[in-house]
Parts: sequence; C-alpha cells; structure tokens
Amino acid sequence: MDIRVLRPSDIPHVQQTNITNLPENYFCKYYLYHALSWPQLSYVAVDVSRPKKTPYDAPKIVGYVLAKMEEDPADGVQHGHITSLSVMRTHRRLGLAEKLMRQSQRAMFETYGAVYVSLHVRVSNIAALALYRDTLGFKVGGTEAKYYADGEDAFSMRMDLDYLRNEALDEESDEEDGVEKDEGGEVGSAGKAGDGVDGARKKERKRKVRVGRQLGVGELVERNESSVPELTNGTA
Amino acid sequence: MSNTQVLQSKEQTLFRHVVQNYESKQYKKGLKAAEQILRKYPNHGDTQAMKALILSSQGKSEEAFELCKVALKNAMKSQVCWHVYGLLYRGQRNYEEALKAYRFALRLDPESTQIQRDLAMLQVQMRDYDGYLQSRRTMLQARPQNRQNWTALAIALQMSGDLAGAEDVLQKYEESMRQTPSRGDMEHAEAVLYKNTIIAERGEMERALEHVDSVAKMALDKTAVMEMRAQYLLALGRKEEAVEAYTKLLRRNAEHREYYEGLEKAMGLDRSKTEDHQKLGEMYHSWGVQSDRVDAPRRLPLDFKTSDAFRQHADKYLRRMLKKGVPSTFANLKQLYSDPEKKETIRELVEGYISEQPHTNGGAERSEPNGSADDSHSTTSKPHDSATTWELSLNYFLAQHYDYHLSRDLAKARKYIDRAIELKPSETDYTYHMTRARVLKHAGNVAEASKAMNEAREMDLKDRYINTKCAKYQLRNNQHDDAVATMGLFTRKEAVGGPLGDLLDMQCVWFITEDGEAYLRQGNLGLALKRFKAVFDVFGTWEDDQFDFHSFSLRKGMPLLAKGGGVNGEGAEGAAERKKAAKKAKREAEKAEAERKAAAAKKASPAKKNEDGEVKKEDADPLGAELLKAAGESPLEEAMKWVGPLLEMSPRNVEGQIAGFEVYIRRKKYLPALKCLLAISSIDPEHPKCHEQGCRLRLALEKLDEPLPEKARQVVDSKFLRITASKGSIEEENEEYLAKHKASALHVQGVVRVRHALHPDGSGEVKEKSAKDLQHTLDSGSTTLVQAEEGLLVLSEVVEADGKAKEAYVAKARERWPEATVFQ
Ligand SMILES: CC(C)(COP(=O)(O)OP(=O)(O)OC[C@H]1O[C@@H](n2cnc3c(N)ncnc32)[C@H](O)[C@@H]1OP(=O)(O)O)[C@@H](O)C(=O)NCCC(=O)NCCS
Repeated sequence: MDIRVLRPSDIPHVQQTNITNLPENYFCKYYLYHALSWPQLSYVAVDVSRPKKTPYDAPKIVGYVLAKMEEDPADGVQHGHITSLSVMRTHRRLGLAEKLMRQSQRAMFETYGAVYVSLHVRVSNIAALALYRDTLGFKVGGTEAKYYADGEDAFSMRMDLDYLRNEALDEESDEEDGVEKDEGGEVGSAGKAGDGVDGARKKERKRKVRVGRQLGVGELVERNESSVPELTNGTA
Repeated sequence: MSNTQVLQSKEQTLFRHVVQNYESKQYKKGLKAAEQILRKYPNHGDTQAMKALILSSQGKSEEAFELCKVALKNAMKSQVCWHVYGLLYRGQRNYEEALKAYRFALRLDPESTQIQRDLAMLQVQMRDYDGYLQSRRTMLQARPQNRQNWTALAIALQMSGDLAGAEDVLQKYEESMRQTPSRGDMEHAEAVLYKNTIIAERGEMERALEHVDSVAKMALDKTAVMEMRAQYLLALGRKEEAVEAYTKLLRRNAEHREYYEGLEKAMGLDRSKTEDHQKLGEMYHSWGVQSDRVDAPRRLPLDFKTSDAFRQHADKYLRRMLKKGVPSTFANLKQLYSDPEKKETIRELVEGYISEQPHTNGGAERSEPNGSADDSHSTTSKPHDSATTWELSLNYFLAQHYDYHLSRDLAKARKYIDRAIELKPSETDYTYHMTRARVLKHAGNVAEASKAMNEAREMDLKDRYINTKCAKYQLRNNQHDDAVATMGLFTRKEAVGGPLGDLLDMQCVWFITEDGEAYLRQGNLGLALKRFKAVFDVFGTWEDDQFDFHSFSLRKGMPLLAKGGGVNGEGAEGAAERKKAAKKAKREAEKAEAERKAAAAKKASPAKKNEDGEVKKEDADPLGAELLKAAGESPLEEAMKWVGPLLEMSPRNVEGQIAGFEVYIRRKKYLPALKCLLAISSIDPEHPKCHEQGCRLRLALEKLDEPLPEKARQVVDSKFLRITASKGSIEEENEEYLAKHKASALHVQGVVRVRHALHPDGSGEVKEKSAKDLQHTLDSGSTTLVQAEEGLLVLSEVVEADGKAKEAYVAKARERWPEATVFQ
C-alpha cells in the first residue's frame, strides 16, 4: 500500500471508494474543490501491487482522507477540518487510516499554519472513535444533535497540532547538522556531478504538463491522454 | 435587424435582473423578467438569447436552440446572441460549432474578456494548444496587471512545448513585482514552485536545484520542496546528498514507494543484481525496525528476493501478519503470484503452519482483542486468544489462495473458508462469510453467491461496504429490484427517483455499470443502453467539472454581459477567478450540506427542489425505449459516438480496438478497421482476435462490392494483404491456426467464428465440426468458466447449433462446473 498525496486524477476513484464505504457522499466538484484549494491536505492509500491490465488502469484507491482548511473560522483561529475518511474493509487494521491522518495533519500545520484540526464522527462509530481518540489523540469537544441525515448525533472532536512544532524544531536542528555535512562533501562530489549527468538527462520525457499546481488546471491538460481518468469498476 | 434595439431604462434594469437571476440560478424569476421585456419588445434579441440560456439551464435544450436562432435573426450583430449560441453548443459538447460562435461573438466585441476566456477554455478542452496560446497572449495584453494572466500564459507556452518561453514569462512577472510578497502568500508560493518545475522540465537540474534551495525557506509546501530537491540531487548524481534527502522524506512518510525507489538509486543499488540484494535487504531492514506499524519496508524485499532468501523473508513476514491477524495479508501478497516459484513457496509455508502445533507459531503470547476482526460498529464481539487468531488467519489466507485465479482450487477454498467460519470469529465480522460468497461466485453459482452475500450483509447492517458488495452480487444474479432496495438502505431518503435516482445523482458508476450489464445479459437492450448512457454522461460531467472549475465564473457568469448588459463591471478577474471558483464550489458544497442537514431535521419535502421551487422532473423514458428507438435508427453511427472517444483517448486498450474493428467492418470502413487490427496486434500479437478479425477483414476485402479507392488499396496491400498472401486461402489459414491453438478456448472460438463467416449458412457438416471443436475446449485445463460460457454463446449464436449439440456441450461443461448457474 502506497500512501501519497491525492492527485486530481484520483478523484473519480476516491469518489467511488467513498460511496462504497460511507453514506455521506459528495459530487465530483466537491472533491475538486478540496484538491484545488488545498492540494497538500488530502491523501490516498493506493494498492500498488495489483497487476496492470492496460496502460490506463485506474489507481486502486483503498483509502483516502479528504481534508480542508476552515475558511472563515468562527473562533478566528486557523484550523483544518477532516471532511471524510475511509478505508476499504479489505484493507482495514493495516494502519492506513492513521497514516493518512498523520500526513494530512502535518500538511495543515506546515503549509497553512493550522493550530488544530477538527472533525465530526458518529457517536456509534467505535472504530473511528478509537482511531481518533486513542491512536491519534483527538478530544471530544461536544455533541451535535442529529448531525447526520439518518438522525444520528455526532461528536465534534479536535486535536491541537502543537506536537508538530516540536517535530519541526527537531527536524531543523537535524537539517543544520546536515548542512555542515553537505558542505564537507561538496568538493569531492563536485567532480562527480560532471560525469553523473546521464541521470539528469532523462530521454523519454513525458509530455505531461504538470501545471498550475494550484491553478485548477491540474491534470486536465495532459497532452495525449484523456483528461478524465479511466475508471475500472469493482472487481471482486 | 440589428443589435441596436435600445431598451428603455426600465427594461434595461429588468434585463440586468434577468442576468442576475440567471447567475444565481433563479430561473423562474429570470424567465418572468425576460417575458416582461419581451412583451414590450417582442423582438429583442439579447433578451431572447438570455431566455434561451435560462431554458437550456432548465434542461429544455431544444426549445433553447430554437429561441436562440430567432434571437440571432433579430440581432445578427449582437455578441450576446452569438455568445449564448456558443454556450448552447458547448452545453451539447458540440465544440466545433461552439468555437465558431465564440469567434463570431469575439469579432463583434473584441474587447470582451468574458468571451475571450470562454474561447480559451474551449481551446484547451479541444486540445488546440496553439489557439490557446494566442488567446492567452491577447488576455495578458489586455490585463497585464494580473498575475494569473502571466501564469496562464506560461502554462499555455508550456503546453505548446516552449519551456524557455514559459520560464521567461514567469521570470518577467517576478521582476515586475514592486514589493516582496508576504510569507503566507499562497499564490506566490505556488507560482514560484511552478517555475521550478519548468526549470526542471527543461532538463536544467543544476539550476533547478539552486532555485529550489533559494526558495525553500519561504515555500509553504514543504513536502513538495523536499521531493523536488531529492529528485534533482539524484538526477545530478550527488548521491550522498540524495541519500540524505530521501532519508528525510522517508522519516516523514515511510509508506511511500517512490521514496524507497529514490533511496535505492541514490545508494547505487539495483534490484536486478543479486550482489546488491544483501545491501538492499539491510537497507529495508533498517527502516523496518524503526517502527512496529510500518509495512512497506517489510513487504518490499519480497519483490526482489528469490529462492531461499525469499523463503526466509516470506516466512517472517507471513508469521508476523498472520499472527496479528491482518485481513489484507493476501491482498498484499498476491502480486507475487505471477512468479510461480514464489506462489508455491507461499503455499508451502502457510500450509506448513497449519500442521504446526498452535503453540509453535513464533511464540504465541496473548494477542490484542479484536486483532483480526474489524468490528466497526460492534460491541458484541468476543475477543479471542492468539491461537484462534492464528488459526483463523491461516484458514482465511488459504481460502483466498485457493480462490485466486492463479492458484484456484475451489473445493479447497471452500474447505478452508468453512473452517474459518466454524471458528466463529464474531457475530458482526462478516469477512469470512463474504469470502464464502466470493468462492461460490467463482464456482459460477451466482444465485447461491447472492444469497451468501446477503447473509454476510445481515451480520452488520450499519456497514455500507458489505451493503455495496451484496448489491453487486444481487445484480450479478439479475436481481435488479433487490439490488436497488439494498442500496436504498444507504441512499438519501429524499432523493428524486428513489435510490436509483440518488445513485445516478451521486455518480455511483459501479452500480450503474453493473445494472446495465445485467440488463444486457438478459437481452433488455433499452435499459442496458440507458444505464450505459448514464455512465457515459457521468464521464462527461466529470470532464466538464474540471473545466468549469477552471473557469467557473465564466460559465455561470454569462460573462459577456459585462458589456452587453452592463451588469458586472469590467472587474477583477485573474486571481479573483480562482477564488470565485472555489467560492462557487463551496456554495454548492454547502448547499449539499444544508440539504443533508435539512433532511436530518426532517423538514425536507419528499421531492428535491431547486432554489426556484421547481420539482425535478420525473424520468420520461424510464425503460429506455425511446433511447433505443432513437439509437436504432442508425445504430452504427450511434455506436461510433461511443467507440470514437475510446479509440481516441485510450488507443492502447485492446478491448477498445476490438470494439472499434467490429463497428468499422460493419460500416464497411476497411481502412479504419485495419488500423484497429494493427493496433490489436501491436498491443498483443497473440490475441485471438488478431486471427479472427484478420480473417474476417480478408474475407470482406475479397468480396468487395466495388473496388477500394486507389490510395486505400495501396495501404491495404502493403500493410495487410501482402502479409496474408503467404498464408494460403482463408480456409487454410484458419484450419492451420486451429491446429496450432487447439488448447486455447478463446482461440478455438475465434476459429469457429471465422469458419462461419466463410460459410454463413453452414451445412450440417460444418456445424458438427464446430460443435466438436468447441466441445474439445472443455477438456483443456486452462479453460475458465467465463471462457466456457463464451463458448456456449458462440455455439448457439454463431454456429446456430441444434439442441442436441448444445445439450452435449452443456452436459460436459456441467461435469466440470457442477454448480455453475449457466449450465443448469
Ligand atoms: C475508521 C476507519 C477509517 C479506520 O481505518 P483503519 O485503516 O482500519 O484504521 P487503522 O488501521 O489506521 O487503525 C488505527 C487504530 O485505530 C483503532 N481502530 C481502528 N479500527 C478499529 C476497530 N474496528 N475497533 C477498535 N479500534 C479500532 C485501533 O486503535 C487501531 O490501532 P491497532 O490496529 O494497532 O489496534 C475504517 O474503519 C473505516 O473506513 N470505517 C468506515 C468509514 C468510517 O467510519 N469513517 C470514519 C468516518 S468519521
């Protein structure tokens, strides 16, 4: 299972994973809105071990977290929000949800300076509660009556992202060590850089234009391929 | 007839309202206002055009077109009318016509940024990159103060292959900035990284590295920066630094394969070299020991290790996972099965565990409660001890092993899954029951499989995953109503058209496809076509969504009215465009959210209404009869609409090419048919369709009503006939092929198809021979149930065999697949 950031071309497949696992579903546009407004925050777990059948095989998305920043936070504090999280039954208890959440949380902190992250969860959802509370360290802030369409209540939960500040400090001090080391090795490797160029000159450069990072064109403008990813249906 | 119909100020105000109403989707109000103007100015083209636009938004596209044509007659020179005309065509995905209309509109109003923008978007969508580039240049000239226009021009240049130009444009903008952007300026941060990707794409790694280092401190997307750095270092051969860069990345995310690949390269290790395996193993080991929760570094070495090293590592890995009771262990390993030796080793290991005493499984301490089960919503499951977890894992793994197509032995699979179920994992853990249903499905018993999956579903009614599976199995058994009812347990109650309506709305592609396939199986072409069309439309919507997102404000904004109707000032676009796009999406999202909440509060009315209070229309053609009738008027042309995009978008998809051939040969378009054929053989030279469709093409060419045009004849000669000439007559070629491929069911079926193309009203002798050939395929060990089913289809539809021959085939197939529903 590969854990990586969500790409716009994953969206139709994330949408199918969502509708397979959860009753709360969204239009394609809502996913696009997340992916284009906060491209760093949503992650997917992909089953990369499936043998390919055609060059257009869709990525097999077995889990995802869809996340965003609160745009006009009522409390005036920058914070992230988990819109949706699910993992296919066949791939649960592998630690995927936990890892997806941790990646997303870090990106909220690093990219947008999020102070905390919030979410809603069904009061009866034991697995998710255990994940959020026990594994990740969220706290229940309150209950929202009849939050879900079927009348069930939600806990609203949140978690401070302070811990990432310390992590970042650790990393920075690491980095400083690293820089020193790098400089030490520079003279030696400078010579190598010259003959090592073959690595740099990748011949078959794909004509895939990765654009706009945030501009909203995303994968749409690939040259020779469909802008809409192929979609294979469930397999079982 | 001109566009100089000037409205009085009252009507001008009204017209502005029409536009506003349209933009805010208050269609009823908009129509009313438009009518009011038209009462006084019945021939006011712009108003008619606006009305048409509203009508089309309400789904009345024919009426809209009619009206827009009238509008154009009344106001030939109105850019509003032409723009609307273009939008209407655009809505129908008739891009060529839309382009023409936009161009016309633009000629009438060259200053209009709105029309220009719509045109540009269309050009991207049509992959007219030169046109797009030109548009973006014009747009930048008109509004150079806007950063977005610079970035967009750079994108256009990049797409047209001018990377240096793209970088230059970005550079120019940066230089023109008067003040340094603040930290936290997302647009700037992203634009800077975008520039970096351009430098790298130019192949200038040294400069890309320098640049990324220089901006690293202020970049907001730290992960991206670290990844870029690592790539550049690697490309530059600065291996030590690259090792360090990838190490840092892996510390942040130890489950990302790309980072390991990078690290391997940076360390100069090569999986294909046995002498590197030791070092690779050590490297992965060092990552594995860092955390108990990480999987990738444990799993990856199984990909490159071989023989004894593989056995040892697989043993460790399997014991660890099975002891923990990780349900996805098999899913995580089955990729290795393409290597027969690895497949055997895994089987031996796990079967070996079965015969071990429970206590020797690598030191059984008490495992955590629920170790193997995923009782998402259960409180009733009993924790089980480690011995049970272990035994359960083994049986479950072996059941999946023997169910998998590369190692299939369904009797054994059944035995192991039944054993797992006997261990009674928990009341709500349906995992094993689900697999049991799957095994039944593979035995061909679709009815029992559907029943079994429903039993699994009933174990955990709150879990949508099993609900989904159950509906799928019901469709495989053609239980449409049951499947819809099952899905209905989780769809929105207030949706128009019931559960199916919601599934269509929510773009639940798998369901619509399976439903269509089930109808097709039963020969219900109307409903099958209707479902497939729905899927096709979902793809269209997806594509539109992507473009809309880029240019939201345009589409909703009916933007040209900025001038025509004077509604929006020639205001801010650019950066604002993105924000608007996001806002719009957000509004939609919030609407959805609000709807959900409203439903929760039980205030929702039974039918979904739009903001205007109009009830969504019921489906006028629920059975697809109209659709089928319309398609039946010129079915082959209709088929082209489906196969065309497939061939264009995914030419390396063999199924698409096969379908393409079938459509082209029926349309007597021999050149394109040949093109498909050549594509198939380049994708997979051994594909049985190469022979079958090749022979059928030969046959068609031999029996031409009139000779091919000279050019076509030359191509066909040099690319095809010259090669087949050496193969004797079609008949000879066909029988020779049969002799070579007797053991493969699909190849034999191809031969039979050719034979009957040669003898369309085949004699008893020919039929007999074909029946015998097909029956023989049932003896071959490699023949699968699906292939045998196909064989039956060929026997009855192509050979048109008599009842006796069919019975013989079925009887023989039944011996081999005694439970298969199709052979009952
Ligand atoms: C909730 C869900 C996302 C968890 O996914 P997952 O990948 O299986 O979770 P992880 O493997 O990362 O679990 C991490 C930890 O969470 C807790 N946890 C997860 N599932 C649990 C369960 N069924 N019972 C008790 N605890 C559980 C455990 O502490 C687990 O650590 P452990 O395996 O070492 O004991 C998944 O069950 C799911 O998709 N459910 C349906 C959709 C859903 O409810 N989404 C949440 C909506 S708010």
